[in-house]
Amino acid sequence: MWFYIKLAWRNIFRNKRRTLIAGIAIAIGLASLILSDAFMIGMENNIVKSATASFLGEAQIHGDGFRETQEVEITVRNFDEVITKLNQEEIVDKFTPRTLSFGMVTSPADVSSVLLVGVAPETEIHLSQIDEAVNRGSYFTGDDNHDIIIGSKLAEILEVSLGDRLVVTVAQAETGDLSQELFRISGIYHFNMKEMDSGMAFIRLEKAQQMLGIGSRVHEIAIKFKDKTYAVQEELPFWETYSQGGNEAVSWTKLLPQLKAFFDMTGISLFVMCLILASVVVFGIINTLFMSLYERMFEFGVLRAVGTRAAGVRKLVIFEAGALGIVSIILGVILGFVSTLLFTKTGIDYRGIEFAGTTIKDMLYPEMNVLQFIIYPIGVFIFMLIVGLYPAFVAGRMSIADALRKSL
Amino acid sequence: MSNKMKNEANIIVTKNIKKNYRDNGIEVPAVRGIDLTIKPGEFAAIVGPSGSGKTTFLNVISGLDSATEGKVWLKGKLLTDMKGKELSDFRRDHIGFIFQSYNLIPVLTVEENVEYIMLLQGVDKAERHRRVLEILKEVGLEEYADRLPPKLSGGQQQRVAIARAMVSRPSLILADEPTANLDSKTGAGLLDMMKELNKKTGMTFIFSTHDEMVMKRARRVITLKDGRIAGDETKK
Ligand SMILES: Nc1ncnc2c1ncn2[C@@H]1O[C@H](COP(=O)(O)OP(=O)(O)O)[C@@H](O)[C@H]1O
Ligand SMILES: [Mg+2]
Repeated sequence: MWFYIKLAWRNIFRNKRRTLIAGIAIAIGLASLILSDAFMIGMENNIVKSATASFLGEAQIHGDGFRETQEVEITVRNFDEVITKLNQEEIVDKFTPRTLSFGMVTSPADVSSVLLVGVAPETEIHLSQIDEAVNRGSYFTGDDNHDIIIGSKLAEILEVSLGDRLVVTVAQAETGDLSQELFRISGIYHFNMKEMDSGMAFIRLEKAQQMLGIGSRVHEIAIKFKDKTYAVQEELPFWETYSQGGNEAVSWTKLLPQLKAFFDMTGISLFVMCLILASVVVFGIINTLFMSLYERMFEFGVLRAVGTRAAGVRKLVIFEAGALGIVSIILGVILGFVSTLLFTKTGIDYRGIEFAGTTIKDMLYPEMNVLQFIIYPIGVFIFMLIVGLYPAFVAGRMSIADALRKSL
Repeated sequence: MSNKMKNEANIIVTKNIKKNYRDNGIEVPAVRGIDLTIKPGEFAAIVGPSGSGKTTFLNVISGLDSATEGKVWLKGKLLTDMKGKELSDFRRDHIGFIFQSYNLIPVLTVEENVEYIMLLQGVDKAERHRRVLEILKEVGLEEYADRLPPKLSGGQQQRVAIARAMVSRPSLILADEPTANLDSKTGAGLLDMMKELNKKTGMTFIFSTHDEMVMKRARRVITLKDGRIAGDETKK
């Protein structure tokens, strides 16, 4: 066994150029798998971040039925108790309460319906990026209860600017009576996301609760985990714990099912890419292995003549394929690491492009992880051994006498 | 003497060996019925012009190629019935091979080449090393154990091939034109060495050649012509 490994290893370096060419071809395949995987992870994180970090949060708690009906009456049950528990939750980094209701915003020029969000400014900054997106005025400084922050598109529609007044009308809980208040635009944000820039308006939580007549209750608690991967772990006890007593806790994967579906698909496309790459290099490798087999036919004949069993030369050929695999893996890992690292520095600019219903907001960077440098190389190695089976079979079946008449 | 006893008392017994090659659908006879008996310890040459069937005959009696017809007993075992693993292992344990050239694996050192068969036999490392050095000394190459074959001269390479063929102490050494690629002086030297080893160890040597110088050193000369035995002389 060791002897054949040693022999195989030395054999592949007999024709250094051929080994190098085949090795580089396989290495490029491996490197592109590593790089694609890193980009897919980077893209997922990027999109998830775009989707969750701007407003949604990684998870949300609502009263049962709120998501489906958006009814103002359906608030988070046992709010204080839930808050106390969340404060002690190991995996939760930040959370913030919100009210959500549809309302009318009226300016002297026009009227528009919006999603009116009541926020707690101090905790909201950790969950959404409204504060960063405000480019005119400011984000809830001072303590004027009549501050309202709107998107740039909405400001255009209503033909208003900073400091102008708006009338906000909402329907109260239970009674359905209309409640109206005058607000002053204290900030205008620009997200570069149409729905957010034209369809939302933010006011202080207490003001919203008062207008809606829901006391100190809220419609939503948005949550950010210490580690973003918690959000995709369906078996996490967290979901159970907070989906009791008339509440439901859901992750962004449920809130944006189209994104989840999209990521599942990228996994499949990576697999398809593996298959395509494999089928492209497979003929090159088989060809290389056969070339080196045929030009050493006499040698194989000698090995068989002196008493090597057919299984012995089969082993030798498979080990040569494996040795070629190892050389390729070393080259491929280096190439994959360097190219991924390079893109980690430069990134790719997909900003502004819409993807599965969300807009990419940041530069796209590949994300390396240890698994890429374990799974793909192991995959390549196993692939090489499998590819070696065919030439190995041919080597084991050759006629010794014919082989010995070769190249004399 | 019964057939069985005869087969066991001799190294090789062949009965009506025939070998046809198929060439573009036409049967080409290469060996046309050879009956031959080789006794233990012989030093025999198979001679004849190129194409007379020497290689074919040697391949058939060593199981490298199958016979179209006829039987071969090697040390009393019916070789023509063996196949696969059994045949490989039989060759490994009972026959040493020397070819015309390129006998050795170029990426293995002289020692690794020589010990290979013992490795197949599962001889332990220390014993392998001891026997390799012993046989290399016998062929005068003990200082070359760590060299790679391409660094050796043709004559030296053939001596390593002799060492490899003999190291596991088979009862039969087959050499197909072992001197064809050497100048006649080196070839004669190689033959003298083989003859010396034959005398010393009692191993049977059969080699093919069409070189007069080499032929003269054989104790028995079997002449082939068109795939048949045309002469069989043993020197007194
Ligand atoms: N693989 C083969 N296919 C067809 N004919 C062959 C093959 N090998 C040998 N022959 C023919 O068989 C005959 C004997 O060849 P060979 O045994 O090599 O003779 P020698 O070794 O005495 O030169 C020759 O006519 C040769 O052309
Ligand atoms: Mg010949």
